[in-house]
Amino acid sequence: MNTIDIKAWYIAKKNVKEKLKNLGSMFWTIAFPIMMLIVYKLAFSESGDYMINGLTTFDVEFPGIVVYTIGMSTVTSAVMFSMSKKDGTLERIDAMPVSRGNVFLGAVLSETIFMNLQLILVFAFGYGVLGAHFELAMMPLGYLIAMIYGVAAIGLGLIIASFLNSPEGANGFAMLTHMSFMFVSGSFFPLDNVSVFFTPQYYVKQVYLQLTVVGDSFSDLMYSGTIITPTSEATFFPIWGGILMILAFTAIFIILGVKIFQKKTIH
Amino acid sequence: MNKSIEEETQVIYSDPNQFNENKHSTEFIIEVQDLKKSFNGIKAVDGISLRVRKGELFSLLGPNGAGKSTTIRMLTTVLKPTNGKARIKDYSLIKEKNKIKPLIGVCPQENVIFEALTAEDNVEFVGRMHGMDPADIKKRTTTLLEKMNIAGRKKPAKSFSGGMKRRLNLIMSLIHQPQILFLDEPSAGLDPQARRLVWDFIKDLKNSGVTIILTTHDMLEADALSDHIAIMDHGKIIAFGTLEELKRSSHNGNILEFSFSSREELIQAKNKLKQIDNVKKITEMENNKLIISFTGGVKTLKREILREVEFFKTLHFREDSLEDIFLELTGRGLRD
Repeated sequence: MNTIDIKAWYIAKKNVKEKLKNLGSMFWTIAFPIMMLIVYKLAFSESGDYMINGLTTFDVEFPGIVVYTIGMSTVTSAVMFSMSKKDGTLERIDAMPVSRGNVFLGAVLSETIFMNLQLILVFAFGYGVLGAHFELAMMPLGYLIAMIYGVAAIGLGLIIASFLNSPEGANGFAMLTHMSFMFVSGSFFPLDNVSVFFTPQYYVKQVYLQLTVVGDSFSDLMYSGTIITPTSEATFFPIWGGILMILAFTAIFIILGVKIFQKKTIH
Repeated sequence: MNKSIEEETQVIYSDPNQFNENKHSTEFIIEVQDLKKSFNGIKAVDGISLRVRKGELFSLLGPNGAGKSTTIRMLTTVLKPTNGKARIKDYSLIKEKNKIKPLIGVCPQENVIFEALTAEDNVEFVGRMHGMDPADIKKRTTTLLEKMNIAGRKKPAKSFSGGMKRRLNLIMSLIHQPQILFLDEPSAGLDPQARRLVWDFIKDLKNSGVTIILTTHDMLEADALSDHIAIMDHGKIIAFGTLEELKRSSHNGNILEFSFSSREELIQAKNKLKQIDNVKKITEMENNKLIISFTGGVKTLKREILREVEFFKTLHFREDSLEDIFLELTGRGLRD
């Protein structure tokens, strides 16, 4: 019963159906990032705001919107899991021949479906409509990194849901956590502070930025060792170091999330 | 010879060595011995032992907080017992809970449904979790929804009335045709018509051979449906038997409710009633009411009681009920 099987997919399908009917969730995950993109475009695309290599502030900040969008999975997964605790559906599923592994994988699958939808929309709107600069060859890798970070965000949501029983409380706390991370990591606005290195969002934004905005060769990017730091162009570590940090944060958040959630919900 | 309530309860498990977690009993589908559950040191279930026969409807009756739902949650594998042993069909509750899950259906006390989904989607999801074939799910879902009068509704379950949600909650526990069905307060909050529908449905299920464990604080429900009743209070089973056995072993006999115009009349009646040998117990209630239990039936009523007490305002004579038995055993009512 600890196995993972096709039931994870049925759980994912159920989660997607539920989410599609939740207008509040749809606003924050789909509409709000689009609104932010428009605001950023209007605020940072003036010709006087050029930063580096001929890129506008909007071009450089666009990855921050991608990080914000994907990071919303922290909020949606925290709400989903705390709701399942509060309304008894988790306990109902526990009484069926379904493993918790299936429940977790089902949640990751359904969130991943939404993350793909979000990314496609944000990419289409940001690159296609608003004209954010991008390097096409590096796009798949950037997409993949955004998705890996999405799994970390789900893990963080799971940790939050472990401690909070009400979906309202989970929503508030997860939003606070997500937004704090966004500011502390310098994802919204560059931040000259050592705290950025303790957030996964920082690495995601910087690696993503390097890959999709200024990158032109995968091998150069992997070994040249140029991550743009928050306040300067100084080199701290190579791209692969950033990727490793993203993977490490993802593993830590998911493992901690599953462990804590299990501990708190299996009596 | 009739056994007392206490003796009957003991009979469930008189010999601790009698219980063998690994031994299959053909007569009993559920066997529980000394099951305990504590939350932060507070005993919710305090060493209950019971046996349930195949195909019977077994009720756990008791007030809120008696430990009924905790017992159900343990037997349905979602709560780990703090202590004790239990076996469901051929499997140990502690060691083989994954083999128990496919055999059972659980209808929780609250309406645990996926509110954003339609009734069909809710039922289909449960069927999928039980590994059912899609065609079977579809067929059975239609039958069950029609039987419970909620077929053909395409709106999300959150738009359903309380009664409809309750019935959907019940259907979700039945889609996979469980051998054992746990119903936690199945008709709580239903109007009389819907309650009757649910009761008839439960009776049909029982007739089809499903073993049903039902918790309730409604004595009418226990009375109408049960083969055996275990009365729980403060985490313990304090009485066990069929309804008839419980009544027979109760010391209440018949019950008479008097109401008087004044307190003076009540005191006067009370003093007279105390003199009658067949009057076993006199309980003074609010609004100048007296409840007395007595033996000897109508004869005693006519020849002794009414001869002494002629000045009452109203009189209500009835047989001993589960509520009276519970009152006798615990000193408090079922709804306290």
